[in-house]
Amino acid sequence: MTGKIIIRMGFMIVVKRKPQYNNFYRASKYSTSSFNDKQNNPNDSITKSVFISQSTDVFTNLALEDWFYKNQDFTNHHVLVLWRNNPCIVIGRHQNPWIEHNTQLAEKRGIILVRRNSGGGTVYHDRGNLNLSFFTPRERYNRRYNLEIITRALYREWGVEAEVNKRDDIIVEEKYKISGTAAKLGRPNAYHHCTLLVNVNKTALNLSLEKKENGIETNATTSTRSPIKNLVDINSHIQMDKLITAIGWEYLRTKALVLEDGGQDLIQRQKGFQYINPTEDWFPGLDKLISEFRSWEWNYGKTPKFMVTRVVDVPTEDNKIHRFNLALEIQNGIIEEIKMKLPADLVSKDFNEDVSVITNLRGSRYNHEVMENIITAIGCKTVTLNTSQTVDKSNMIATQ
Amino acid sequence: MAKVIVQMTKYTTKTFSHTSREYLFNFSAPKVSLYLSRSIANSRSLNVERFYTEKHEWITVEGNIGIIGISNYAQEALGDVVYAQLPDVGSEIETECGALESVKAASELYSPVSGKVIEKNEEVEKTPSLINTSCYERGWLFKVELNKFDELKGLMNEKAYNEFLKSDPA
Repeated sequence: MTGKIIIRMGFMIVVKRKPQYNNFYRASKYSTSSFNDKQNNPNDSITKSVFISQSTDVFTNLALEDWFYKNQDFTNHHVLVLWRNNPCIVIGRHQNPWIEHNTQLAEKRGIILVRRNSGGGTVYHDRGNLNLSFFTPRERYNRRYNLEIITRALYREWGVEAEVNKRDDIIVEEKYKISGTAAKLGRPNAYHHCTLLVNVNKTALNLSLEKKENGIETNATTSTRSPIKNLVDINSHIQMDKLITAIGWEYLRTKALVLEDGGQDLIQRQKGFQYINPTEDWFPGLDKLISEFRSWEWNYGKTPKFMVTRVVDVPTEDNKIHRFNLALEIQNGIIEEIKMKLPADLVSKDFNEDVSVITNLRGSRYNHEVMENIITAIGCKTVTLNTSQTVDKSNMIATQ
Repeated sequence: MAKVIVQMTKYTTKTFSHTSREYLFNFSAPKVSLYLSRSIANSRSLNVERFYTEKHEWITVEGNIGIIGISNYAQEALGDVVYAQLPDVGSEIETECGALESVKAASELYSPVSGKVIEKNEEVEKTPSLINTSCYERGWLFKVELNKFDELKGLMNEKAYNEFLKSDPA
């Protein structure tokens, strides 16, 4: 490993140029062919790296994660990538964005929405949240191991007692969630990533995850809401840079397959900390992945099929009010069907014109305004049904 | 069995013709295909041999049509499946072709064979837990029109797969 090495705050920062990173990548790729689990103890032969992304753009960071998943060989090199984002809402792979977040408010505040590749529920990120991605070959995927690294670091450095619950959330004080988990399992690679709340803006979090859209019917994955807490409110000495160092060292000093402390000896054998700059130069093909993560087709188009229904009142010439259901069927984010269930006593020819207005919307992209526009176009009113839930939203987060 | 299916189709079609107006306004499930697929899945498994991959998918082949699912070992390893993303009908698939989500993990779905998808199990899309409760019958995933029969050569039969599970199921 050549390059400029600076020692600061316990970090070893290796500033490398593009060709050097490529060499490192190739070297790790070729060396795996001689690797043999049966002859060597994998705990000794697997080395570890902690990479810290220098980007705070969620699309870039998700693309970087995807790049590692698709291109890197983890057979004898496990990797932990640490990354933070500017304010954004990250939904699970099979979720419905219109259900999971307050679209209008997020747009107004400039909070980006993005779909990730892993399962689970919706989370809010800002710079006060640390994301950790643990990469291994699929057969060594172990969420418990990874989460324990985090709880051990919190205890070793600050004496914070945190535990991992059945849902693989990390909780403190028996109920407050500080970390949510999700994963993607493929062949040959897998990753487990999780959030860690250090000092996020809780007001922004609560507001942006507040549900607005109702009447949606779908079998998309739902989020589970849990009370949350920032680490800084548990121990005011916990700061982001110290936390990154603490977790990074804990990861490096722990044996690759078992939660055993290898101490200073093990740290010496690891590849250490590296700041990485997620650009096309360093990671060929990254720009294409970034544009995929930015696309409407990925973020909205991948929404599992769903239906939006409204009950509306239509006044007729004889001053009667008729109630009917208006329903949109949306597939791949596109309005496929618009259906009405009219009361039997209402003559349908009175509504011919209105029906044609609706049919023009077939094939267009769905958004939260479409339904309201249709209702206005027909000239009827939405019936407010008493279905809204009264939930105390303070300290609540829709989580993975 | 074929007779039963034909009868069922007739019956369900009849039902629809009587209630066509209702059907237009409601979002009722396409019952015809639902009944059909269930009957086919049941009849097939009685006499056709199932082959397995090392990644724990299974396939049965009749003529040039392969039916694909995941093994009992795989469904147990996944845990409760909450969402099934199956390949679109008409798409050409090679290996990675969808995903199954369980306990916050999205597991990529791999097809043992390449070819054109001719049907997906819509019942499983609606009720993904069928993969857990009936992975070889009602929990089948999709059907493929095979074009490379060589791809079947490397697969294991039931006996070989059970041996494989004993040795190295990772």
